[in-house]
Amino acid sequence: MNAGRRDNDQPLLSVRNLAVTFQLRGQHAAKAVDDVSFDIRAGQHVGLVGESGSGKSVTSLAIMGLLPRRGVRVSGEVMFDGTNLLSKSRGEMSALRGRDISMVFQDPMTSLNPVIPIGIQVAEIIQRHFNASKSAALERTEELLARVGIPDPRRRLGEYPHQLSGGMRQRVLIAMALACEPRLLIADEPTTALDVTIQAQVLEVLKKLVADTDAALLMITHDLGIVAGLCDTVNVMYAGRVVESATRERLFAQPQHPYTGGLLESIPKLDSPRGAPLRPIPGSPTQVLPWSEGCAFAPRCGNRTEECTARTPDLDPAGDRHLRCFNPLSRTAAEARR
Amino acid sequence: MTALLKVEGLKVHFPIRQGLLLGRQVGAVRAVDGVDLEIEEGRTLGLVGESGCGKSTLGRAILRLSPITEGRVLFDGVDVASLKGEKLRSIRQDMQMVFQDPMASLNPRQSVETLLTEPLRAHGIPFDRKVRVRELLEQVGLPSSAAQKYPHEFSGGQRQRIGIARAIALEPRLVIADEPVSALDVSIQAQVLNLLEELQTSLGLTYLVIAHDLAVVRHVSDEVAVMYLGSVVEQAQSDDLYDKPLHPYTKALMSAVPVPDPVVEATRERIILQGDLPSPADPPSGCRFHTRCPFRQPTRCDTERPALRELDRGHRVACHWAEEIAAGKITPRSSGPEDVVMFTSRPSSPSELLGSSE
Repeated sequence: MNAGRRDNDQPLLSVRNLAVTFQLRGQHAAKAVDDVSFDIRAGQHVGLVGESGSGKSVTSLAIMGLLPRRGVRVSGEVMFDGTNLLSKSRGEMSALRGRDISMVFQDPMTSLNPVIPIGIQVAEIIQRHFNASKSAALERTEELLARVGIPDPRRRLGEYPHQLSGGMRQRVLIAMALACEPRLLIADEPTTALDVTIQAQVLEVLKKLVADTDAALLMITHDLGIVAGLCDTVNVMYAGRVVESATRERLFAQPQHPYTGGLLESIPKLDSPRGAPLRPIPGSPTQVLPWSEGCAFAPRCGNRTEECTARTPDLDPAGDRHLRCFNPLSRTAAEARR
Repeated sequence: MTALLKVEGLKVHFPIRQGLLLGRQVGAVRAVDGVDLEIEEGRTLGLVGESGCGKSTLGRAILRLSPITEGRVLFDGVDVASLKGEKLRSIRQDMQMVFQDPMASLNPRQSVETLLTEPLRAHGIPFDRKVRVRELLEQVGLPSSAAQKYPHEFSGGQRQRIGIARAIALEPRLVIADEPVSALDVSIQAQVLNLLEELQTSLGLTYLVIAHDLAVVRHVSDEVAVMYLGSVVEQAQSDDLYDKPLHPYTKALMSAVPVPDPVVEATRERIILQGDLPSPADPPSGCRFHTRCPFRQPTRCDTERPALRELDRGHRVACHWAEEIAAGKITPRSSGPEDVVMFTSRPSSPSELLGSSE
């Protein structure tokens, strides 16, 4: 589709053993992300799923180089297009951000500047990365706002964020993120703050634009439903590590990690008969074992054995997927459940 | 079975005032605009809708936490809307509420024991502190050691359990749960939903569950009412509603919910609504939904407000054209963001991207 793009053999983004530790002076270190590895190929849609505190957002911030420098240790490798993003300087990163990699955040109210008209905010990115004149950038902005489905874009250019509804604001953020046709878009819970019908609109716009610009997408969400409709492969995170990684068809048809399976069983579904009991995962996400002492999910896991609290499982290839578990849900059990 | 709660023509309008001293009323936000509901004893009614549709205001109005503009709220035959003072206070013993955010609704400076016994003290009910607290904690699945702790020492799910324990402390007959699980992590939501069901069985509670999540509502409710911009557009038995939604808004709402199954996601019918929820201060004429409705017809929709009418047994819908839509005689206009203009080819260089004005 595009000559400047790498061929599909080499992943566009390759995250290897990414670890992020927060430590303030005199306090205990907190490992938010630990040994996270995954690949994204050009044009591919990858999902990163987990509950709050699982480290999914920190992963995205680490990739973008947006974590504060003080009190944070980032290790591992984030290879983008053959270079390690973690070794880039601040200046190099800000030249890259918004141009080659961009991000859509969860809350459009806090990620837009409330005292600057939205047109100026979007145009700013184009001016900065393309050295464009203000009028040219504004013209392009108008076109972008039309593309994300904002009616009457010329008038909207001069409006402030508070004059737009939540869905419209999120569209502005998408326009902003895709202004320079980046090769990788990271969307961090882009629709969590929106109502379902608006969420459907925004996801549709996002899907269309990503397909149009041929960008790769890293979708970060807690909603397995969104991932099921959008992503080619899915990484499930728990307590800072990826526990299961597979194509969406395999993952949803046969979840093998007890956490993935438990999550799918505990969600009420629209099409399940009323009264079908939910099987919740016992305990809470705060009850974790440090990964250094075994499997973090062990305290809540129904398949737990002694091995789980004695050794730390690795993310190993297991047939059609990668799995970090000693006692995966067996295929027959998974099938029986369905 | 008799209806424990009956809501008739309920309206909650919040006045919009202008002017400094006298405050001339210039309009009203019609948060709830004519709602009729009935819940039988021991059953669960689910109320779904998007933010701003008035579902929370309706829940609050039933407890008289929001002023009622018009209409009646009959609780066990007594009109709550006309009660005052001591009588209102004492009827609230039988109607309790579980709030969305347990961190915001539990006083951080009160221990769990104080939190749980405050309703008893407020209503002057004699109780044995130790016994009652232990009993309540047991009912919601918390250890008795929790009594001396404070809200911040608990996780989100446990805090919601405390909120539920407080709501059942007075042994109410009706519990109104406003978004009881939406602030919780997915793996915790199921625990709380199961707890609500267990309590219903053991205590014979009647629930009004207010939520935006259709899957949650379907799971807990016997009957479901769908709200849009202050009024109920469809009401039916839970299974009927999900198997055969009749109102275009219900159809759209259900097709918008992402389903965690790639096969379903790829094959199901999708109706994507255009635009945003109109302002309840200036609702559209006729059918409130006609501005966004993919099935809109040239007549009646924009002039005549449809009444809730019974189509099937127990399945009520507020749409002029429900029969025609159900029979497939009216098809939706092409949905999706059609006003989105797409580039035909991808510009490869910045100058091309910016056009010739450079």
